[in-house]
Amino acid sequence: MSKIFTPTNQIRLTNVAVVRMKKGGKRFEIACYKNKVVSWRNKVETDLDEVLQARTVFTNVSKGQVAKKEDLLASFGTEDQNVICQEILAKGELQVSEKERHVQQDSMLKEIATMVSDKCVNPETKRPYPVTMIEKAMKDIHFSVKPNRNCKQQTLEVIKMLKTQMPIERAHMRLKITASKEGRKLKEKLVKLCTSIESEEWEDSTLIMVCLIDPGNFREIDDLVRSETRGQGHMDLLNLKEVTEGEETVE
Amino acid sequence: MWTFLQRFLLRLCDGAIVVVDVVEGVCAQTKVVLKQVWLEHIRPVLVLNKIDRLIIEMKMQPLDAYVRMVQLLEQMNAQVAELFTVDVMSKKENITDSSSGLEEADDSNIYFTPEQGNVVFASAADGWGFSLQDFARMFSSKLGLREEELQRSLWGDNYFNTKTKTVTAGAQEKAKKPLFVQVVLENLWSVYDSVVIRKDKIMTEKIVQNLQLQINPRDLKHSDPKVQIHAILSKWLPLSDTVLRMVCEKLPCPSYMSEARAEKLMSSLSKPFELLPEATQQLKTAFVACSSSDDAPTIAFVSKMMVVDRHCLPKNKVRLLSSEDIALRRQQVREKLAQFTMKQEQGDNVAVQEQQVKSEDVLEDGPIFIAFARVFSGTLKRGQELYVLGPKYDPGATIDNSVEPSGALKDLKAGQYVTRAKIGDLYLLMGRELECLESVPAGNVVGIGGLEEHILKSGTLSSSLACPAFTELSQMVMPIVRVAVEPARPCEMPELIKGLKLLNQADPCVQVVLQESGEHVLITAGEVHLQRCLQDLEECYAKIQINASQPIVPFRETIMAPLEPISTSNAGRVQIETPGKRFSMRLRAVSLPEEITNVLEKNVEVIKTMPQIQGPGHLDQTEEEIETNKKLGLQWRSKITKLHHRLNHVFGMNGWGDNAADRILSFGPRRCGPNVLLNYTPITLPCLWNKNPTDIVFERVTLECLNSVINGFQLATLAGPICEEPLHGVAFIIEDIAIAVDQLAPLSHGEDGDSNHNGQSQQQCRSFSGQIMSAVKDGCRRSFTNQPQRLMAAMYNCSIQVSGEVVGKIYAILSRRHGKILEGDLEEGSASFSIAAVLPVVESFDLANEIRKQTSGLASHQLTFSHWEVIDIDPFWVPTTDEELELYGDKGDSINRAHVYMNSVRRRKGLAVSEKVVEFAEKQRTLSRKV
Repeated sequence: MSKIFTPTNQIRLTNVAVVRMKKGGKRFEIACYKNKVVSWRNKVETDLDEVLQARTVFTNVSKGQVAKKEDLLASFGTEDQNVICQEILAKGELQVSEKERHVQQDSMLKEIATMVSDKCVNPETKRPYPVTMIEKAMKDIHFSVKPNRNCKQQTLEVIKMLKTQMPIERAHMRLKITASKEGRKLKEKLVKLCTSIESEEWEDSTLIMVCLIDPGNFREIDDLVRSETRGQGHMDLLNLKEVTEGEETVE
Repeated sequence: MWTFLQRFLLRLCDGAIVVVDVVEGVCAQTKVVLKQVWLEHIRPVLVLNKIDRLIIEMKMQPLDAYVRMVQLLEQMNAQVAELFTVDVMSKKENITDSSSGLEEADDSNIYFTPEQGNVVFASAADGWGFSLQDFARMFSSKLGLREEELQRSLWGDNYFNTKTKTVTAGAQEKAKKPLFVQVVLENLWSVYDSVVIRKDKIMTEKIVQNLQLQINPRDLKHSDPKVQIHAILSKWLPLSDTVLRMVCEKLPCPSYMSEARAEKLMSSLSKPFELLPEATQQLKTAFVACSSSDDAPTIAFVSKMMVVDRHCLPKNKVRLLSSEDIALRRQQVREKLAQFTMKQEQGDNVAVQEQQVKSEDVLEDGPIFIAFARVFSGTLKRGQELYVLGPKYDPGATIDNSVEPSGALKDLKAGQYVTRAKIGDLYLLMGRELECLESVPAGNVVGIGGLEEHILKSGTLSSSLACPAFTELSQMVMPIVRVAVEPARPCEMPELIKGLKLLNQADPCVQVVLQESGEHVLITAGEVHLQRCLQDLEECYAKIQINASQPIVPFRETIMAPLEPISTSNAGRVQIETPGKRFSMRLRAVSLPEEITNVLEKNVEVIKTMPQIQGPGHLDQTEEEIETNKKLGLQWRSKITKLHHRLNHVFGMNGWGDNAADRILSFGPRRCGPNVLLNYTPITLPCLWNKNPTDIVFERVTLECLNSVINGFQLATLAGPICEEPLHGVAFIIEDIAIAVDQLAPLSHGEDGDSNHNGQSQQQCRSFSGQIMSAVKDGCRRSFTNQPQRLMAAMYNCSIQVSGEVVGKIYAILSRRHGKILEGDLEEGSASFSIAAVLPVVESFDLANEIRKQTSGLASHQLTFSHWEVIDIDPFWVPTTDEELELYGDKGDSINRAHVYMNSVRRRKGLAVSEKVVEFAEKQRTLSRKV
């Protein structure tokens, strides 16, 4: 009879996500469960046993090679596997699993859509578009979320792209500009930047103007008011976004 | 669904045919219809339908069927009696008479009794129907009785005594067959038995011969017994004749109108007939006379606008052209061509011309509206000019200063409800077909074209301004099912809006609301109605694909802090400073008492006008301010001072110290909401109410900083930390504020510095105001989160009418949806309860369906927005103690409603939700076996 080798004392791990870290010229790995590491890093998961498959530090998880004590001591300054595991969990490299990436992209897309709907209006009705519609429009223009750029930047991009698809524009800001000096010169320059001027009054040489502007031009106008009037100008933000409020019955 | 559609037509009717299925019996629907008919003072007649089912499906004996019909009639009459009692009781309340009044009230002719001839027994499927009169005529000679006598005794507990040849009462007692069974039902049964059940050809022929009927032999030879029975019985007892005769005999003539009904038509609930102006009261005679002579005033009521495809109109129908027509057309084309070439020579006008032609084309193929109307008095002629009175028109208001209105509906100003319209084409409505008419005399129902511009849903046409506007009927079914609709392709928004407008005009039961979030919410009367509305929108009004979804439900965020405004405890106190420590501030968030938020919410309009009086403080602006003050009406200013005093009073009552309202720096969000920013620092800051801050001179730096602070406060109140929803009833108190003025000094007096330095300082200054803004926003959020936070849910006021047997189920539904029952009382004189409850808006989706299913349609409800209510659970609460853990598990999400709402909103907005991607690490699917 031939002898069959049965590894009774061998523990096989399934569903492993490996987190790696290089420290002190050595590579260390820990074996974690899939889809759990990001939750741990977001502090949503608090139970370490739900994240780690084994509280052991490896040099190679797939081969089952456990890190030597001397190496650990040399690199981490401690022998406590728990502490080291937590450090690797927090700082190590990791391949983000498909589900995690999906969740992240999804929430980012929703956040961008919410921001677009918050910032923009339908120019005909001066009312925002519902988020679901923005999401659909984003899908139509084949917009894809870039995970390494922040939401606000991407929002501004999306708005530009959406303009080709549907009547949409950023909600206007209402400003009140007071300039006691050089009012005329300032006005000429402001007119180009404003979308519309609601009222304009002159008192002696003081200009008082209420205008609607595109929020993208706010900085430019702010600069202009300050520099042209040499500090004698003043700007009040009357309304952050000019939208029609309240419910309305369509008839 | 038809119940709420037909109710708009009831106003035009003189009578109603109530059809009841003898197998199903009296259903909830039947009761609703009866009630509606009763309320409108319309005479009903009854048709007991589907008697064939009793024979074929139920296999009943004639006697059983008779008993069933008697019971059914009793039930119907019980309903009528109930309505009658409620009516009498309500009248009695007005008179405050000690006796019930029921005895005196005459109720003899309101019931359904076959003897009186207002009941028809029928089977519409087999095409037959009869009243007692038919059989009385048939059998009077056979039984040797007079026709009238037989008709009187045919229904009821009577039997035919063969010995004495008389009809005697008490059939049941003596175990005899009632006359109705003997004479009517047994004959019918035998016909069915031989034709349908036994399929006896010889017998069938014999019956036909006996009844002396002329029947198409092909029908008789037909293999399907249904066809045979239909052929025989529809010849013997034709349904249409019977029903028409009953309608003619029992229902009032169109040209007859009782005084009571005329008064009811003319007066609305809010305005009884006696209060109407003299001239209007005189018009009653015109209603009652119903004369179609030329000198009678013309009065017509339009109950709805029907949509008809343009090419269905008679004038647009394809017909053969006569030679003159062809010649005429040729001439027209020639002229056009000549014009065109002339224009082309002129050159520039061509484009305009073409555009006009195009727009005409577009007009041509859309659906058009035809007003469905009834003429009450006078004669309606084509081309006649009449006043169109809107539903809100009040004859008393305009009768003296006779307005000469012109133009269409959209040109009307607020408070004006009259236009003058030329009657377009008149149509005779023949089912789908329309026939053109020249004039329509009083009493008729007619379709009128050319009123789209003047009537939205319903209206009144009159030659006299004294005529009152017919109001809409008392609404029994309110629109309740809400969905948000949006086009499948976002660029098709304008089409959707156009379609919704058309739908709103065409369907009186639809409401369309544009919400603050930009959603178009379609409110319909029920799920079935909704389906039809969406289909109509897709197929004929908007002609685009449409998605319907659950509407977004708004929330509010607030804190629960029973704290004194001035307190030494450190709870919720937050210290903020900008980088570089040039600006620092101490903040505290405190919850506002409900009284104050109520005052603020009621005066939103007043608060909104305040910035027009004064921007937040400019010392060099006083003259201009006076100018604007002059422009603003005195009225507004007095309102503002009134609000100021009121706020001071309310703040004082709630222990916020004297003149707390003077400390208000701003309201938020959007400068008009129910949150306030208060200044409790020793420094005086320019406040909201002070219109003339001449006594104190503020430094420009302070003002600019304050501006940024207020903007930061606005941002913080617009989106709270729980789920980015607006705050409600939170006061942020500034306890200390410090600005390092010296460092800023060169910035504000930057004119004497060299240009390079100037530019740099501006850069700093700008970023500085931004820094303050974000620091304040952050501080507000932190001080908010330091307090116990709560979500607030919008609540619906829910009033439910429900019949007694299913009250329990309604209570169960409401409690499952976290509703609160305020009261539930038995309505006097009837068996139904009316329940008042409040229900969170979030939980109201699909409520209509559930109620209808659970109660089998025995309950009807209405929802209206009532208020914001705090959900008294901390959205972040999780079980901590052992007992709690044992009770709720370690998540506690089964009971934490606020947590569920919060997460759903956060998920919708793409905010971080504290949820794990995978709940249990070990319970994932193993994807690869090898490590």
